[in-house]
Amino acid sequence: MQASRARLFKEYKEVQREKVADPDIQLVCDDSNIFKWTALIKGPSETPFEGGVFQLAFSVPEQYPLQPPQVRFLTKIFHPNVHFKTGEICLDILKNAWSPAWTLQSVCRAIIALMAHPEPDSPLNCDSGNLLRAGDVRGYQSMARMYTRLAAMPKKG
Amino acid sequence: MISDSIPSASVAMAASNPKDFAKKKRANRSAKLKQCKLDARREQWLSQVKNKGVCSKEEVNREGSTPGGPMLHLKNERGRPIEKLEIQPRSEEEIYGDGSSTHHYSDSESSLSNSPTSSVLGSNDSGLNFTGSSSSSSSGQSSISSSSINGCCSGNTSEEDEGDAGDDGCLDDWEVMADALAATDNKQKQHSPNSEFCSSLSEKHENAAELGSQLDATNQPFSGIGLLNANPESGGMTKQGGALNRCAWRPDDAYRPQSLPNLSKQYSFPLSSEKHFGQRGPVWGSKNLGPIPTTCPICFEDLDDTDSVFLPCLCGFRLCLFCHKRILEEDGRCPGCRKPYEFDPVEREATLDGGSLTIKLARSCSMMERS
Repeated sequence: MQASRARLFKEYKEVQREKVADPDIQLVCDDSNIFKWTALIKGPSETPFEGGVFQLAFSVPEQYPLQPPQVRFLTKIFHPNVHFKTGEICLDILKNAWSPAWTLQSVCRAIIALMAHPEPDSPLNCDSGNLLRAGDVRGYQSMARMYTRLAAMPKKG
Repeated sequence: MISDSIPSASVAMAASNPKDFAKKKRANRSAKLKQCKLDARREQWLSQVKNKGVCSKEEVNREGSTPGGPMLHLKNERGRPIEKLEIQPRSEEEIYGDGSSTHHYSDSESSLSNSPTSSVLGSNDSGLNFTGSSSSSSSGQSSISSSSINGCCSGNTSEEDEGDAGDDGCLDDWEVMADALAATDNKQKQHSPNSEFCSSLSEKHENAAELGSQLDATNQPFSGIGLLNANPESGGMTKQGGALNRCAWRPDDAYRPQSLPNLSKQYSFPLSSEKHFGQRGPVWGSKNLGPIPTTCPICFEDLDDTDSVFLPCLCGFRLCLFCHKRILEEDGRCPGCRKPYEFDPVEREATLDGGSLTIKLARSCSMMERS
């Protein structure tokens, strides 16, 4: 308990220090609970998610960093490895491949990388995975772009 | 290559012995008369030795044919001037006491003005070569030089006895100097075709070094019998084998004076200490060693001395002992490579031994730096 708190506090200071270094990630801690974090990540360029800003919710266990944080998308996203309803993320480093050397910041980076390189063979969003597995990249991209525009971009007008 | 050139060098030496001997006689007289006359003799020698320079040039070429060989020599030469400067003035003042000492002084000073860059280069570039090759190439060559000196000593005692019966110590010193001058002249000729400026600079280093070595040889206590006779031979040897071993002393040469600082040690030390302090203690048997973090990557607490030498996994991932224990209680996999930590007691033992070894090294290092 104490160790995870100390570690999260150090990570918080690290994030404050490196705020400028990574403009794609904005990681903020809940004011009252250091085990609840929110992240805003920019959709990677040259993907259907470009231009969108996606909100992630971190729930850090007390065994952190020995146990991985639980992360889910709060913003709706059309991605084969993200559950469309719950926002749950299927990412190995958040499950069995977790290493205590990872930080919340590096998890955000891994999620950005996952957005750019979807894994259609282990889909949480079956529609999206089926499109990619059928080779309909164009259909996948247009769907993802539409949802990005609907959910992850500021409403115009 | 080296083993090839020994017999040829010794053969050439034996063939040119009588000539050298006559030359030495002449050199003694001229040295006793005046310095300027000695210079005139040098000019004569230059013309005489030219035909002999051919065979030694062949040796140079053969040496040049081996990759890395001549470069090593050059670096050694460049690295040496400092060491020479430290002892050279003293011995020259003792023995010359006239204008020649100032002449060589200026030489050594010019080499000093040249040396900073070159010595820095040497320490940076050839520092590894120095330490690495001291066991292989330089030791081999030093053994050659010492053995050849001994061989000459035993082989030519009778000849020298009848010839140099009337010589006194002073004469021998002059003889030594004349030999050294001849050797340097010979070598200057060898080098001059290539690049006159560079070679003349390095020749001056060599000149000083060889004078120092041979003068020092005469100063050795046991040299009164054996080396006195061997001196002319060693002079001849430097003529023929000048290309073979251009440096006055190998770090492990038997005739090297004890007072000389061990340059290889000096050069290798800052390098190795840099290594040690850059990584704060090397770890054996680990593949990729990055810089040691100052904080534990798991709990972000500062690593103390015990933690910084604690290496639980071969992948090189470091963490503090507390986190390591916690991980062992959980899933027991290394955070760096995700492989399970070795639970085998023997393996744990080994890693612990490695840890203690690095601790020792780090301590000795710090002591060396303090002293």
